[in-house]
Amino acid sequence: MEKPLVVLKDVSTGYDGDIVLRGVNLEVHPEDFIGVIGPNGGGKTTLIRVILGLLPVFSGTVKFPGGRPGTGYLPQVSQIDKSFPITVREVVSSGFKAPRPWFPHLSKQQKQRVNDMLAEAGLMANANRPIGELSGGQLQKTLLCRALINKPGLLILDEPNTFVDKGFEQDLYRWLQELNRQMAIILISHDIGTISPIVKTIACVNGTLHYHPSNQLSEELLKVYNCPVDIIAHGPIPHRVLKAHSHE
Amino acid sequence: MVPSRTGFSKPIAMSDFLSILQYQFFQNAIITAVLTSILAAMIGTYIVSRKIVFIAGGITHSCFGGIGMAYYMGLNPFLGAAVFGVISSVGIEWVSSRAKVREDSAIAIIWSFGMAVGIIFVFMTPGYTPNLMSFLFGNILAVGKADIYLLLAFTVLTMIFFLVFFRPLLHTAFDPEFSTVMGVPVRFYRYLMSVFIGLAIVLSIRSVGIILVLSMFTIPQMTAMLFTRNFTRVIPLAAILGITGSMAGLMSAYSLNIPAGAAIIFFQTLQFLLLKLLVLFLETRRRGATG
Repeated sequence: MEKPLVVLKDVSTGYDGDIVLRGVNLEVHPEDFIGVIGPNGGGKTTLIRVILGLLPVFSGTVKFPGGRPGTGYLPQVSQIDKSFPITVREVVSSGFKAPRPWFPHLSKQQKQRVNDMLAEAGLMANANRPIGELSGGQLQKTLLCRALINKPGLLILDEPNTFVDKGFEQDLYRWLQELNRQMAIILISHDIGTISPIVKTIACVNGTLHYHPSNQLSEELLKVYNCPVDIIAHGPIPHRVLKAHSHE
Repeated sequence: MVPSRTGFSKPIAMSDFLSILQYQFFQNAIITAVLTSILAAMIGTYIVSRKIVFIAGGITHSCFGGIGMAYYMGLNPFLGAAVFGVISSVGIEWVSSRAKVREDSAIAIIWSFGMAVGIIFVFMTPGYTPNLMSFLFGNILAVGKADIYLLLAFTVLTMIFFLVFFRPLLHTAFDPEFSTVMGVPVRFYRYLMSVFIGLAIVLSIRSVGIILVLSMFTIPQMTAMLFTRNFTRVIPLAAILGITGSMAGLMSAYSLNIPAGAAIIFFQTLQFLLLKLLVLFLETRRRGATG
C-alpha cells in the first residue's frame, strides 16, 4: 500500500481549551474516499480543520509522511459571504497560488487553466457574474472549481449537498467518483443515506472517531459507535441505506 | 479673499463660480477632494466588502485622542492622529483575531476612550484651540501644499499596493480560511491593511473631519455597488461618485456659504438616495415588462 497522505495519532483538539474531539486516530491514503458522518456538534468540521492546519492540536500528532499534500477545500456554503463583490472567475482563480509572492499575479498558463476549468464546469457564461447572483448549485460548483484548480492530492468537502437541488447533487457525486481516481477525498455529510453508496469507507465522528472500513453501516453498529445519526430524521425513507446489504 | 469659519466670507452667486477657481485655496480644496475620493474609493471598497465599517468608525474616533495629546504636547496634531489611528487599527485587528473579547465591544471601548482622551487633553491645553472644530468637521478650504503632497504620495502608494497585491488582498478579505489553507500569509495582509486603513482615515480627516470622514469611505462605495458587484469595478466607480459628490458639495458650500465638509457628505448621500431610487424604478419597470 502507498504511503498515507495524512496520519492522525491520538489527536485531541477543540476551541478555547474546550475539547471537542479526543483520541482520534485516522489514516488517509491516496485512493481513499472517506465519508464523515455524525450528529451536529459532534466534531466533523473540527476534524477537517485539524487536517487543514486551521486548528492546533491539544495533544497527539498530525503527520504528512510524504510532505503536506496539495489540498483542495470546499467549506460549508453558509461560511461564504454571498454579498461580497467578487466574480466567479476571481473565486476560481483564488485556488491558485501565484508563482511569485512579491508580484502575486497568475501566469498565462494558470489563466488558461481557469478558463478551461470554468468551461468544463459549465460556468463560462457566469464567469464574470458576482457570486451573489448564482444559484446554490452554481455557487457549489464555483467553490468546487476553486478547490480543484490546483490539482490537489487531497480534496476535503464540508457538506457540499446543502442548498442544492437533487439533480445537482447526483451530478456532484458522479463528478466526485470520477475525481477519486486521481485524489483522496474526505466528504462530510449529515446525510448518510445519500453518501453511503458513493464513499468507500465511513468515519463516525461524535466526540471520538470510529473508522468503519466499508461503506455499509447497520443501525446496530451506529449505536455501538455512539454515533446517533440525526440524519435518520432526514428524508422520507430513513432506513434505505442504513441497513446492511446481504453480501456484507 | 480669506476663508471664514464656514470657508467663505459671504454668499456669492453661481455665475461667479469660475472666478473662484483662480484662488489657490479653492484649487487646493478641489485637488484634496479628488485625491481623498480616490484614496477612500480603494480603502473604502475593502472596508465595505469586509463589512468592517464599524471598525473604521472606531479607528476614526480614536484619532481624536492622538490629536488632543499632540495639542497638549505642542506637536503636529496629525502626527498624533496618525499614531493613534495606526495603533487602534492594528489593535482592533489583533483583538478580533484572538476573539477573547467581543470585537464590537472592543471597538466601542477604543472609540469612546479615544474621544475621552482627546477631550481631556484639549481641555488641559492652555489657551484657545482654534483648529479643534476643523478636526471634528474638517476644513478642506485651509489645506496647504504640504498636506496635498502628503495625500498625493499616500494615494499613489496605496494605488501601487492595490495593483500589485490585488489578488491576496481580495482573497484574504473574501475567505481568510481558504487563503490560509492555500498558504497565503493572511495575518500579514490583514495587519498591513489595518495600517493602510488607519493612515487613509487620518489623511482624509483633513477634508471632512472626524465626525464625517466615515461617509467618504462608505457612501460612494455603497452607491457604486448599486451598479456592480465586481470589486475591480467598484473602486473606479466609487472614486468617480466620490468626486462628483465632493464637487457638488464644494460648489454649494461656495454659493450658499455652508460648511464644505458637511455639504460634501450631504451631496454624496443625496447622490446615493437618488441613484437608489433610480435603480428601484428601473427594476420595477423591468419586472413589470417581463412579468
